[in-house]
Amino acid sequence: MTEPEQALEHARRQAAAMRKGGAYGESEAELGMRAEEGAGTKLYEWALIEPDLSEVRSTRAVGRPFTALKRLLVRLLAQYNGQILAQQTRFNVTVASRLAALEARIEELERRGDR
Amino acid sequence: MNVHQILSGAGPHDAITAEARMFRSHFRAWGWLGSDYAARIAPGLNSGVSSLSRLEPGPEDLLLLHHSAGTPRLQKLLALPNRKLLLYHNITPPDWLWEHAPMVAVQCAIGREQLPEIIHAVDVTAADSSFNAAELQAWGATRTEVIPLLLDHHRLGAPQGRQDGRPPTVLFVGRLSPHKRQDDVIRAFALYRRYRAPQARLRLVGEPITPAYVEQLRALADELAPGAVTIESGLSEVELGDRYRSADVFLCLSVHEGFCIPLLEAFHFGLPVIARPEGAVPETVGDAAILVDDPELPVVAELLHLAVTDASLRAELQRRSERRLAVYSPQLVARRLRAAVEQAANSNH
Repeated sequence: MTEPEQALEHARRQAAAMRKGGAYGESEAELGMRAEEGAGTKLYEWALIEPDLSEVRSTRAVGRPFTALKRLLVRLLAQYNGQILAQQTRFNVTVASRLAALEARIEELERRGDR
Repeated sequence: MNVHQILSGAGPHDAITAEARMFRSHFRAWGWLGSDYAARIAPGLNSGVSSLSRLEPGPEDLLLLHHSAGTPRLQKLLALPNRKLLLYHNITPPDWLWEHAPMVAVQCAIGREQLPEIIHAVDVTAADSSFNAAELQAWGATRTEVIPLLLDHHRLGAPQGRQDGRPPTVLFVGRLSPHKRQDDVIRAFALYRRYRAPQARLRLVGEPITPAYVEQLRALADELAPGAVTIESGLSEVELGDRYRSADVFLCLSVHEGFCIPLLEAFHFGLPVIARPEGAVPETVGDAAILVDDPELPVVAELLHLAVTDASLRAELQRRSERRLAVYSPQLVARRLRAAVEQAANSNH
């Protein structure tokens, strides 16, 4: 019997032994793990607002007509919404750019300080 | 006494909403009146909770604030002259949510920002775990009562013995959300299936943070363990009980938990539990689960194999989980709740 306190150590030994036998050789990519993107890349990606029309839906039990109505409203208001999106995106991208410039300045100052 | 409960959000499959219902039934039994309100009410919750905008408390009424996300018009609420008790359920760190659910992330970020203000304004602070209480203390609370979540696991039905001869089934129950790491559960399960139990099945049960995130999980499952993973949402209590009964092991690789009710539900059904020791998980499970702090997924796969095949280990974990459940008995928790409410009601304002 394995005591609960010994289970983890037992599993580690078993995993190591299995590895020696050729098991558990999968790479991170083979297990569907993505490489982390840099925060700066994400910030620019998120700054550009691109709403997905398929996300406009109803959560009611009989929601299909409500979903259709909501999507129609979005289409009818496309010109107005476009203006709002443009203004918000302008702000977002400006902030992201300023932040990147500030980071670059801080890095430069730190480099000088290290000398 | 009138005790009004105020929830950050309420929904048909939400643990805090379920707890508020349990609180209300205890309040009634103690002869206390009052109503329940929420800042946001999800579709599908048909009754029992009113919009926060309808709150009009009498001067002697006590407000019990369940805080689990940002609350709109908080200043107005905190400015009310009533005595107030905060019950903090923890808030998911927004960094886990920005990519997949930005609006939820915003609510979480606001909820965390609001904590110092709430702590300052209430008469008594409480949290449902020591982990959550420590967060409150870091934000400025001087003394926090710990009131574990008050839930009745018997609502899911009775456990039944293990059925031999069927393929092993791994289960995780929890919101389908990045911080719950169902992606790692799928990966560890895929390794277990590949090297130890080719017929094994994985069931993931929970409400999706977004439909797109669930599609990502489905795609990962189809790639790593095609046909072996089931993802379900919107289950009734009877159906949820069935999922526990038909499982052989409960695997939780979540990286943030303020309490984690499904661990106790798994105990109720006698399942061996393997979990990451993150957040409140170690104090919730005590010595009744196998805690795995190893980032290596093959080790998790080997633990699954061990938990499924070692009958003595299963029996020992079951014995310990029964003891652990006694700590969270509704009677004991209700006593703590009543003491905290009375302390708030009798506090010098």
